[in-house]
Amino acid sequence: MSNFEHHIEVHNLSTWFGKKHILKDITCYFKDNTITAIMGPSGCGKSTLLRSLNRLNDLVPSFRHTGIVLFRGEDIYGPGFSVYDLRTHIGMVFQKPNPFPMSVRDNITYGPKLHGTKDEDELEKIVETSLKKAALWDEVKDDLDHPAPNLSGGQQQRLCIARALSVDPPVLLMDEPVSALDPISATKIEELIVELKNDYTIILVTHNVQQAFRVSDQSAFLYLGELVEFDETKRILEAPTDSRTEAFITGRIG
Amino acid sequence: MTTQSISESPLRKIYGRLGLKDAVKSRRHLSDYLFKIILGMAIIIIVSPFFFVLFQVASIGFEQVFGTGPGQGIEFLFTFPGAGLEGGIRNAFVGTVELILLASAVGIPLSVFGAVYINEYTQPGKLRAIIEFTSDVLAGIPSIVFGAFGFAFLVDYLHIGMGIVAGSLTLAFMMIPTVLRTTQEALRAVPMSLREASLALGATKWSTTWNVTLRSAFPGVITGILLAIGRVMGETAPLIFTAGNSLSVPTEITGPGSWVASMPYTIWAYISDPRQYLQEKAHGTALALMMMVLAIDVIANLISRKVTRRLV
Repeated sequence: MSNFEHHIEVHNLSTWFGKKHILKDITCYFKDNTITAIMGPSGCGKSTLLRSLNRLNDLVPSFRHTGIVLFRGEDIYGPGFSVYDLRTHIGMVFQKPNPFPMSVRDNITYGPKLHGTKDEDELEKIVETSLKKAALWDEVKDDLDHPAPNLSGGQQQRLCIARALSVDPPVLLMDEPVSALDPISATKIEELIVELKNDYTIILVTHNVQQAFRVSDQSAFLYLGELVEFDETKRILEAPTDSRTEAFITGRIG
Repeated sequence: MTTQSISESPLRKIYGRLGLKDAVKSRRHLSDYLFKIILGMAIIIIVSPFFFVLFQVASIGFEQVFGTGPGQGIEFLFTFPGAGLEGGIRNAFVGTVELILLASAVGIPLSVFGAVYINEYTQPGKLRAIIEFTSDVLAGIPSIVFGAFGFAFLVDYLHIGMGIVAGSLTLAFMMIPTVLRTTQEALRAVPMSLREASLALGATKWSTTWNVTLRSAFPGVITGILLAIGRVMGETAPLIFTAGNSLSVPTEITGPGSWVASMPYTIWAYISDPRQYLQEKAHGTALALMMMVLAIDVIANLISRKVTRRLV
């Protein structure tokens, strides 16, 4: 375990929305080229933890936090740390597919263009590689100028993955990326996530134990804002040390 | 085969289309049929005033706008009025175009940026509620009040004087509530997750707002702008005390040289005149004005559709 450079470390993170205490003293880390699943029942703070990592919680004005989140050793909430740089290094895929109301091509080039890539050939290359990585290229290569919202739900979600990959972030956050999709599309995206592990550090929020078992290397189990267990997924699921984890795995809570 | 021959009878066809064949089947069929008739009549009553107005205006003014005689047709729009107000309405036509362009140049960006600020940069709360309430009230204020305000504030207090500046600013004030509120509604309809997707790619707030939020809201924004332009284009009252009148086009920015005529004002002035040929010119002007509003409507729809097709 020690031969990994931790891309993201969370130390004693507590968060509040207004007076509501969401995360309670979370400490964990996310290793390179692994998939970490954040599990737990609804409302336990899974998404809040994920959104703390790319500072998307900052959009909510009542958000407060204590503790430290380190990205490559730097405090992302520290003064002088650019949130825009952070987000180009940490991509995100959302629960519901949310392609921009533009063409397939423009969805992919949006990010690179923002960060100054103007060369048409280079953009074309980014479109192709991103879509290939997201296993969507073969399905849309002839319709790159078609509106993205016309794609099917599963295709839209893979387009969103491609869009996140377009700026080549080392870390990918995924917030229940398949829960809004049909089983076939979900399976496709799960396979894709496992494949992406070779090049990316992936942090996956899920409330589906089977999914966590299928795709993740290590898991964090959250319950009511507390980090109950954090270890290799196999160990947690085969021999949970906490009764709450066991209750969740066996389906008694959640 | 028998059904074929029945449906071939022309009378049957008409009955069939009206649904009368079914109506006589039972009481329930009849009430269903009657309700359809009532709804249809409501629509006729709703739509007919438009055609009455169009017919009334066109029956007197048609010759002016579409005729081919001297001073008619395109010449009517592009000839200045001469002695005894004979001639065309170039002063009013050019004046309205200039007033609307200036008012739009001031009013549209102000209200669109204002709506963006309220919706994207402030939190829901008292301030937002106050601004929304104020613009709703403002949208319902009679246009003569805007005229009086324009006169008291712009013409008198700020010493701008009557003319194109005071006139178009007054019209801009009138456009603001409509454009502001419709833009706000359009922005509100853009899903939060689109903004988040853009921000999560490292976009700044401004580029997210400009490239994603506003572009997604564009058809709605266009609709609001269209409504506002259509409204102020036909306003007489705000211009009476602020724009002055002129038989020519404005040559200066301030002073009497900046006085400007407008089509609604001209319609009002001509129609209050007993001379028969001025009645005709008033109706011709009205017809031209209606067509201009229609043209703007069509153009805005085309733009909106084109942008939407590119985006969605």
